[in-house]
Amino acid sequence: MKKHLLAASLVLSSFASFGAGYQLNLQGLRQLAMGGTGAATPWDISTIFYNPGGLARIKTIQAYASVLSINPGTAYGNFQGSTRSQAQSFTPFNIYVGGTVKEGSRLGLGLGIYTPFGTGIKWNDDWAGRYLVQQIDLKCVFVQPTVSYKLSEVWSVGAGFIYANGTFDLRQALPVQNGLGEDATAKLHGVGNGVGFNAGIHMKASERLSFGLTYRSQVNMDLSGGSATFNVPASLKATFPNTTFGSLLPLPQVATFGIALKPLNNERLTLALDLNYTGWNSYDSLRIDFDNHTAMLQNMHAPRHYRNTLTTRLGANYKISKVVSVMLGGAYDPTPVVNGFVSPELPDADRVVVTTGAAIKPLKRFTILAACEFVSSLKRIGSYNYSNFAGTYWTQAITPGVAVYYNF
Amino acid sequence: MKKIYIIGALACLFSACKPSVNVTVPPTAGDATFTSYLAIGNSLTAGYADNSLYVTGQLNSYPQRLFEQFATIGDRGAKGKFYQPLLTGDMGYPGPRKVVGLVGSCLGDTSLGAIDLPYFAASSEDAKAYVSDGPNHQINNIGVPGIRIADYAVPTYGNLNPYAKRFYHDLTTTPLEELQFRVNNVHPTFVTIWLGANDVLGFATGGGQGDGSGNALPIFGPLYASDAVTPTAVFKRYYDTVVAMAISVGARGALINIPDITAIPFFTTIPSNGLYISRQSLADSLNRAYGNSKDFAFKLGYNQFIVKDHLGHIRQSVPGELILLTTPLDSITCAAWGSYRAIPEQYVITTEELQQIRSATTRFNEIIANAATRNNLALVDMYSYMGTLQSGIVYNGIKYNTSYISGSAFSLDGVHLTPRGYAIVANKIIESINAKYHSTITAIDVNKYNGILFP
Repeated sequence: MKKHLLAASLVLSSFASFGAGYQLNLQGLRQLAMGGTGAATPWDISTIFYNPGGLARIKTIQAYASVLSINPGTAYGNFQGSTRSQAQSFTPFNIYVGGTVKEGSRLGLGLGIYTPFGTGIKWNDDWAGRYLVQQIDLKCVFVQPTVSYKLSEVWSVGAGFIYANGTFDLRQALPVQNGLGEDATAKLHGVGNGVGFNAGIHMKASERLSFGLTYRSQVNMDLSGGSATFNVPASLKATFPNTTFGSLLPLPQVATFGIALKPLNNERLTLALDLNYTGWNSYDSLRIDFDNHTAMLQNMHAPRHYRNTLTTRLGANYKISKVVSVMLGGAYDPTPVVNGFVSPELPDADRVVVTTGAAIKPLKRFTILAACEFVSSLKRIGSYNYSNFAGTYWTQAITPGVAVYYNF
Repeated sequence: MKKIYIIGALACLFSACKPSVNVTVPPTAGDATFTSYLAIGNSLTAGYADNSLYVTGQLNSYPQRLFEQFATIGDRGAKGKFYQPLLTGDMGYPGPRKVVGLVGSCLGDTSLGAIDLPYFAASSEDAKAYVSDGPNHQINNIGVPGIRIADYAVPTYGNLNPYAKRFYHDLTTTPLEELQFRVNNVHPTFVTIWLGANDVLGFATGGGQGDGSGNALPIFGPLYASDAVTPTAVFKRYYDTVVAMAISVGARGALINIPDITAIPFFTTIPSNGLYISRQSLADSLNRAYGNSKDFAFKLGYNQFIVKDHLGHIRQSVPGELILLTTPLDSITCAAWGSYRAIPEQYVITTEELQQIRSATTRFNEIIANAATRNNLALVDMYSYMGTLQSGIVYNGIKYNTSYISGSAFSLDGVHLTPRGYAIVANKIIESINAKYHSTITAIDVNKYNGILFP
């Protein structure tokens, strides 16, 4: 009879998940500096990401490496006060190798290792939303062997197989307190993988006008076998047993259409426009299925109901000389998170992106790129109704990066 | 508009990406004045919790929370300190508070439950009279655990109630005279009054053994039996007097009505159909024991407990009847209470008694509502809000409801609240005050305070 004492489930309030902005658009530094455009121009071997169809147009074998430093900050405020996420840095990297197998060949081969998804936020442990999330971290790396073929001077096509590997970490407070009033915590750690593909068509309509059309498939990250660790008062150890869990996370499909134009007769200026249509609506809900259940520890099902988004990107590249180019760009990136589902593990909002960068070619075969992206979300008054958590959010991020590549 | 964000994004370069949002708005007093606040009430007002009064409970009382919010108002906000008749520690006064601990059962197993504080030792400091060190020795929270509206005319009340005894300025007076003294002393500009629950709760927690008719007679002078429902006329006379006295120096305020006490965990935790039969032979045996009467039916699964009702009849309970949280569970588990033996009547609220509780609550709440209307005071409908809490509210990721322990809002006695529960109540009061007086007092961050603490 005493069992009824704790019979009602103290359901974990809301296992937070990744928000919208977990898509990263930092896979090539020149493209980044041009507002994230790149489907219509195979600037370098990073076209393996931006448009596999452009790979056959890379005239030599090229090796490319870049690293970036994302420095985000998110502010939260409600009627009771305000706070800011703790300072963190993330350093995604990208490596590409490939090109045409020999000079004049129509066949391009390459391998890309890049970071298309990732996010993280760390709030103060005692903040108002601690029962939703204290810290979250998602890192995802895609490995993509790619084949491309130049059908004609106008058309080329390409496709790559994607093997995805990622890690997922989440920490949140649980609404049970020890004798000192300290919250219990839940930590989830998962490693997952998935497969997909990336394909593209490149059309060089003329020396001054080209088009790109690409499609990257959805990748479902299987996080089965993840570990859930509960730090709870001693008397509740049996009710919150450490256990394994499974979850499936969709990394959404993206279709991109791009145009590149060289409006000046000297062909020094390139203007680019990319439109990304991202299939976020596959992220309908987050399920965490624990392998061990108790009255208090039940599977989690948190609705997300993301919507598809259309991102508009504009960029310009100006070739000052054979050695130096400068880039400028911008984007408007609408959020997939609909009203009522704005939660603090990634409180997404429509974002404005401004980018700039430069390329220097000190040696004939060697290029150095530097770029910087500034992102600001629009201030958003948002609520996550499932957990009845609301507030005003504002996110900014600065992301500098460098890349080098070498033509063999 | 977009330009602002482009500039904002670039500014990030120089400010190291530290955006900030501030959406707080300065709270305002509206038509009321909160400079001097007096809280009048019973145990819920005193901050009673876990079956006792202790200083941490007092410091988490809803009047304390309200005062803190009133103090954030610039113009006509609360000033100075909020004086409560604080105890010296957390032992519990006069008896031990309850804590979560391991409870052994008659079967030899143990489970988590509420136990008396194991290291309890009555504090002689706590038994001493409390003297406020505030201006005029003022006390802003005069909530007295146990006090009923019916008690307000009882002389020497300070000698009858150990909580009143600690701070009543004169132990020979009635609570009404004490109230008059406190009103003249504090000169409240704003009062909250949460009284009346005990005028029906005593009957209910006594298992409905007293006079629930609403026509009880006093047992000694003006004093009514602790397990009787206060007569309606008596309730009206003294409730109206208390309100008139409380606002006599021009205060505005809020009257909080009586919650639906039958929805609190004290009555809802043990279900009346808690008799679980796992074998047919047991069901057959029970049916035989009751002479295979058609009035008794035992089957596999959950069955209605056998109870003794107020007429002394032994019968099977009917759905909706309530079994008190204080029922000794070992007697059910090992002494066949509820099956071969009846659960004694003092642990059972029968349908008829339930009706008496509900109709008394309705009558009293009408009196409270009329007093609010007549005196143009805010009415806090805690009765309806209990219904909302019963189905559960989610606050910043935590689900609160009226479940015992797991619901986080009710303390271990199943009647009074946790600090989080008191903060939820304070928010409901703030909502009603804001609606009535056009004030904009900020709601409290409920999760800042403690719920149930586990060892």
